[in-house]
Order: sequence, then C-alpha cells, then structure tokens
Amino acid sequence: MSDESEPSEPVVHGALMAGFAQACVNLNIVAGRRATALLADIDMGRWFPLAKWMEIERMVGESYANVEPIRLKLGIEMMTLWYHHGPGKALIHRGADFLHFQTGSHGIASVIRGPREVVGSFDLAEFDSGRGHAVIRSSTPFDKTIECGVLIGGVMAPGDLYYVDVTNDGDPNRLVVEFH
Amino acid sequence: MTLDEILQGRDPDRLSELSREDMHRLFWMYKGLLKRVERDTAYWQATNDNLRTAYERLDEQERELARAYQTIRQDLEIAQQVQHALLPKDHPEMLARFEFSVYHKQMTEVGGDYYDFYRLRDGSHAIGVFDISGHGVSAALIMAYLKAQLVQTMEQVSRPRDIVEYLNNATVGFLREVRRYATVNFVAFGERTFRYVCGGGYGVLIRGGEVHTFNKGDPFIGLRRRAYSEYELPFETGDVLALYTDGMVEAQDSAGADYSTRRLHELVRSNAELPAGQILQRCLDDYGQFRRVDADDITLIVLRRRAA
Repeated sequence: MSDESEPSEPVVHGALMAGFAQACVNLNIVAGRRATALLADIDMGRWFPLAKWMEIERMVGESYANVEPIRLKLGIEMMTLWYHHGPGKALIHRGADFLHFQTGSHGIASVIRGPREVVGSFDLAEFDSGRGHAVIRSSTPFDKTIECGVLIGGVMAPGDLYYVDVTNDGDPNRLVVEFH
Repeated sequence: MTLDEILQGRDPDRLSELSREDMHRLFWMYKGLLKRVERDTAYWQATNDNLRTAYERLDEQERELARAYQTIRQDLEIAQQVQHALLPKDHPEMLARFEFSVYHKQMTEVGGDYYDFYRLRDGSHAIGVFDISGHGVSAALIMAYLKAQLVQTMEQVSRPRDIVEYLNNATVGFLREVRRYATVNFVAFGERTFRYVCGGGYGVLIRGGEVHTFNKGDPFIGLRRRAYSEYELPFETGDVLALYTDGMVEAQDSAGADYSTRRLHELVRSNAELPAGQILQRCLDDYGQFRRVDADDITLIVLRRRAA
C-alpha cells in the first residue's frame, strides 16, 4: 500500500503497532511464546488493519479485572519507546512540542489512515502555556485511557516538565492536559 | 541559593532562601512525583490483583487437572486389569506337556505385546506372540481386537500358516485404516516337532547345543494380503524354545549398543540344561545389568518339552 493512496479500510502504521506491541511485552501484558509471536508478526514498514490493533486492545481488556491503570501505563510506555527508541527525539524537544505536534491532527494522521468517519481526529483545541493547560479533542477509535497515557508519555518524554496529568472525566473525548 | 544547589547539598534548612520561582518548581516537582506515585501505585495494584486472579485460576486448573488425572489413572487401572485378563493364566494342559516360564512387561499400564496359548481344532497346542506397533491404550485396544479375531480364526482353520493368513486377511483392512500393524510368531506343537509362522517376531530353538534361529522373513500382520510360509523344526525332550518380542533385544546400554539377539541366544544356549524358569531368570538378570532403560514392551517365553 503506498502512502499516497487513501485506504477504504482503516489502517495503522507498523511503527505504532510495534510500539504498542512492545509496550505490551515490556509491561508483561503478554509474555513467552505469545509475546514472540506478537512482535514477529509486526513489520515497522507496513500498514496494518485497525482491526489488529483493536484485537490487541481487546486482549488487554480481557486480561485484567482493573484494566484502566494498565491502559494508562501502556500509553505512557508506548510514547517513552517512541521518544527514546523511535523518531520522537527528532520531532520534539520540549514537552509542549508534543502537544503542538497534534495541531490539525498532524500526529494522528501520520499513524492512522482511512475513512475520516472511522479514523476521526486527535486535535489540539486549546493551549495555554502560562496556565499549563491544554485540551485535545479526540474522536479516534482508540481507547481513551490509552490516549491519556499517550499524552502523558509524550509530554513527559523530553524531561523538561515536572508535572503532567491528563483527565477526561466530564467528556471522554475531551482530554484535558495539565502541565508544569 | 538555587533549588538545584539545595537539592545537591541535601540541606533542607536553607529552603527558605529559595526564590519564588524555585519554590514553584519545587511545588510542581513534588506534585509531579506524587502523581507518578499515584499512577504507579494504581498500575502495580492492578497488576497485583491480576496476579492474584491468575494464581486463583491456576489453582483451580491444577485441581481440575488433578481430577482429570485421577480419572485417567482409574481408567488405566481398569484397562490394565482388562488387558491382564486377556492374557492366559492357567494352562494345565500346556503344563502337562511343557515346562515353561513367561516374562511379560508393558512399558506403561497397558501395552501392545500380546501372547496366548491355544488348543487348535486338530487337538495340538499352540503359542502366539504378537507385538502391536505403538504403545499404550491404542496398542492395547488393537490387542483386544486381535484376540477376538484369533478366536474366530481358530474355529475356521488349524494349520499355523492358514491361521496367520486367515487372521491377516480378516484384519488387514482395519489395521491399515488405523495405521497399525503387528508382528506375529505362531508356533503349533506336534508330537516331536513344531511348525511355525514368523512375521517380524523372534524365536530360537536350542537343540543339542546348537542354535536354530527362526526365519522371520514373512510380513507383519496388517500390511497387505499375502501368503505366509510355514516351517517345521524338531522339538524333543530337553530341547529349549525361546519366543520373544523386540523390546529386550533392541534395548540399549548407556553407550548406545543393542542388547542383541546374539547375546540373548547365547545366553539361552549356555543355560539350556537349566529348568525353563532359571533360563528365563538368567536372561532377565543379564538384561537388567545391560540396559540403561526399558524402551519398549517386553515378552520372553522360555519353553522345554517334558519327557513323555
């Protein structure tokens, strides 16, 4: 599949899939032969059906009685890997850069493609550096707690901020970032 | 005094010297740490809960496995009793004519070695020794099937060659379907001789200090329809006959050498003057010292014709 074509089915970039899978392995959510099979199955240069991502999300959900803290940690771990072992360090230099990177769904568009009504958006809606406040509007098909973890991990990764928290208590699709 | 200098010097008394900006940094640093601890605590709590649940599931699965194992054990014990019941026990008519001793050991609770004593339609006595391919329950089921087929066969024919051919023709379809076969060694005794059919089985006659090895070139039972050959050898008072399956002679020592037919035959020959039971025991003692571990079912029958 070429990068220029618009796929009829939603697809996720292999690098994101690999980060997600590696985070699952690092956190021992999958282990042993299942871990080897999961990682062996993912080619960083390919695009994968969104269904494969959802399958891993489902597997994580079924593995834990209290899954929310795990999902949050998974998102953080993913972005830690992305920053320290992936392209992250070349793209952002400060925690706030990660938030700006989401402007116009720029970040999400590089890792998920397909019909807009399915892939949705992940867009920086508000940003106030003085107050340490930002809002991301998300309508992606991904789990929202994992997305909270992604924001925490992405903003924390450069190491210039002391405090980061993301909440979406009132509206699951409105991710409120507090950073200092 | 900056926050970094205070932190490096580990001197909390000088916190009051911090600037407003550094106080803010310290505040968010502390809040950030608390938040991290909160997230990590929640994560480890969830992981711990999950571990506890996994252990509970593991315990339950272990109990289920133990129950299943117990059921299988009981079934295997019953199967062992059934198989044992299928083997010959009292043989007063054979004992009147022959002095003999039998060693029969299955690798597991049940197995594929099978022997039996028969009274043929013409009144003569016979022995059959079979080794069904494979081990365990499936081989034992085939053994029970062969025994049933042999009972029917005996009602139809009485020459060893005819018996084996009839048995092979009656069972080849089924055995091929279940991908199994059996070696056969069938011996029928006359007044001063015996006739035998041997397809993959093992037999040796010791007569006058000489070793006469069975011709075992006929096919196994269950491979294809084919005619079998029948051979006749003299068998008089004092002669010793040993029939066995491959379990003993193919067993290996720690260096990987086979026990071998030659070693067993020489042992039978050199002890041929002893009673059958002692010959068999000498063989077992020698085998016990040789082999590293049993690798197959074992059957060994030593038989001597009594004086008339």
